Amino acid sequence: MTTATVTKEIKNKNSSKENTTTKEFTKVDRRDAKLALAHIYVAFIALLLGGLAGLLQVFVRSGQFTLPAGINYYQILTVHGVLLGLILTTYFILGFQTAAISRTSGPLSNKQRTIGWVGFWIMTIGTAAAAIMVLLNEASVLYTFYAPLQAHWIYYLGLALVVVGSWTVSLSQGLRYIQWRKENKGKTSPLLSFMVVVNNLMWFVCTLGVAAEVLFQLLPWSLGLVERVDVLLSRTLFWYFGHALVYFWLLPAYMIWYTVLPKIIGAKIFSDSLARLAFMLFLLFSIPVGVHHQLTEPGIDGFWKFLQVVLTFFVVVPSLLTAFSMFATFEMRGRELGGKGLFGWFKKLPWKDSRFLLPFIGMVAFIPGGAGGIVNASYQMNELIHNTIWVTGHFHLTVATTVVLTYFGAAFWLIPHLTGRVLTKKMNDLAVTSGIMWTVGMFIMSSAMHIAGLLGAPRRSEYSTYGGSEQAAEWIPYQIAQAVGGTILFITILLIIGIVINLIWFAPKGEEEFPLAELAHGAEKTPAILENFKLWGVILVALILIAYTFPIFDIINNSPLGSTGYKFW
Amino acid sequence: MGKNNKSNDNLKGTLYATFGVGIFTIILWLLCFNLFMDRF
Repeated sequence: MTTATVTKEIKNKNSSKENTTTKEFTKVDRRDAKLALAHIYVAFIALLLGGLAGLLQVFVRSGQFTLPAGINYYQILTVHGVLLGLILTTYFILGFQTAAISRTSGPLSNKQRTIGWVGFWIMTIGTAAAAIMVLLNEASVLYTFYAPLQAHWIYYLGLALVVVGSWTVSLSQGLRYIQWRKENKGKTSPLLSFMVVVNNLMWFVCTLGVAAEVLFQLLPWSLGLVERVDVLLSRTLFWYFGHALVYFWLLPAYMIWYTVLPKIIGAKIFSDSLARLAFMLFLLFSIPVGVHHQLTEPGIDGFWKFLQVVLTFFVVVPSLLTAFSMFATFEMRGRELGGKGLFGWFKKLPWKDSRFLLPFIGMVAFIPGGAGGIVNASYQMNELIHNTIWVTGHFHLTVATTVVLTYFGAAFWLIPHLTGRVLTKKMNDLAVTSGIMWTVGMFIMSSAMHIAGLLGAPRRSEYSTYGGSEQAAEWIPYQIAQAVGGTILFITILLIIGIVINLIWFAPKGEEEFPLAELAHGAEKTPAILENFKLWGVILVALILIAYTFPIFDIINNSPLGSTGYKFW
Repeated sequence: MGKNNKSNDNLKGTLYATFGVGIFTIILWLLCFNLFMDRF
């Protein structure tokens, strides 16, 4: 057969299957792997240190332990929140996304890779600067850095650098996607690459809020250039970012659920269009909803709170689309494998495969996590749980279970894929054990937090009997339960770190697959409108303007004198 | 061939599971709402 005939055949094949891409990539480029790994190393160091801080926190709150060497409770709270909520997540996401782009759109160019490395180092310098300030007890302001608590200016600058660095890494990924689109005009982009770009776009738009807060409010204020800060404005800008941050954590988990899990169980992607639609809806409804975190703020008119509550509830739509899509993928595969009856297919899933089990547990945890979130966002009902430890229990289900268990499940194949090693049966069994232990520990800790929250126990507070209060005495058994759950979780973190170390340096050399599912045969062509970023971008901007213009105008127009800084530690 | 009501090629489990998630969410919400009404 001549080359010309082969080329002609390939062309015919491609034209007959419109969703087929021109070139298939099966592995992450070795040079991109180093960039991805650098991010993942930082993420797991953050997991270890942040987990240790979490352990100390639950010990202190049990009333049975006092921190040594004058260490402040709010200092370790800040370490725990910043390292796990911001550093672990952001680094893992950007490392995973770099690998995902390289795997699906192709290797980064030298220029794109250099941009990625520049971003990594900007983030890392920022992380180090913020960490030093926290360790020096100059920035125990909790991870939401709420004014009027005032940290050292280097802390704010450090976190601003983390954001700027993340934009830079995202840019390198976006440039590779744009290159793919140029090289494959008229074709539907690889689903995973598309998802990465949606997540980065959401990240960029939402971080503009926190960047404005840091640059125009917190930095001049902490440097002493201005004496006072508008507290309500700073919180509003923070939550413009803060709620979308939750989805920045969550969407990479969704990427893994939609594109990786089907391959692991031997299935196809249920629907490319449905997955893209869900991501676009998350893009729209993740940002103009931040005020639902401020339902008890007196300075925002009730109408705007109500509007943002309604927009928040729209997130239910892509969430249930995802639930349906996942159940359908599992059911179709289970039935293919001979599962009978209504739920017989359930038994056919690969329960002993950590790559499947951990993300699956994450999905299950998202059911009570999401339901609790609806309670949080239900306007008046927010009074019930606002600033109680229920909220902490809620995000330990969503972020610290749904999101991180999915990340861990992915790390167990991604790290060996990047290091040129394999996940052995022994390591897989340990990973399964870690998933089960995490579930047990988190069930105990998160349930205790939810119940104590309903009994009125505050979040972000050191152990106290509140002067022998009868109500506070009710919380103590739940605080001890949190210490038990937290201890199990920390032991699990040590196990996970051990597995990660094995996969980086000691596992046998070989080729671990980057699993990526294909579209189901006979799938309809994905409508081009789902990849029309201009259209979705305009809708997003319109929703943000509708939701935020008047509240921010009101806040600035009726701005009080503002507050000077406070340092209570 | 007669109507095959026992076909194994269906997504009934998915239908029930997705509705189950919705119903669980509504029940939890109602329980909290009940608590809210009692308290406020």
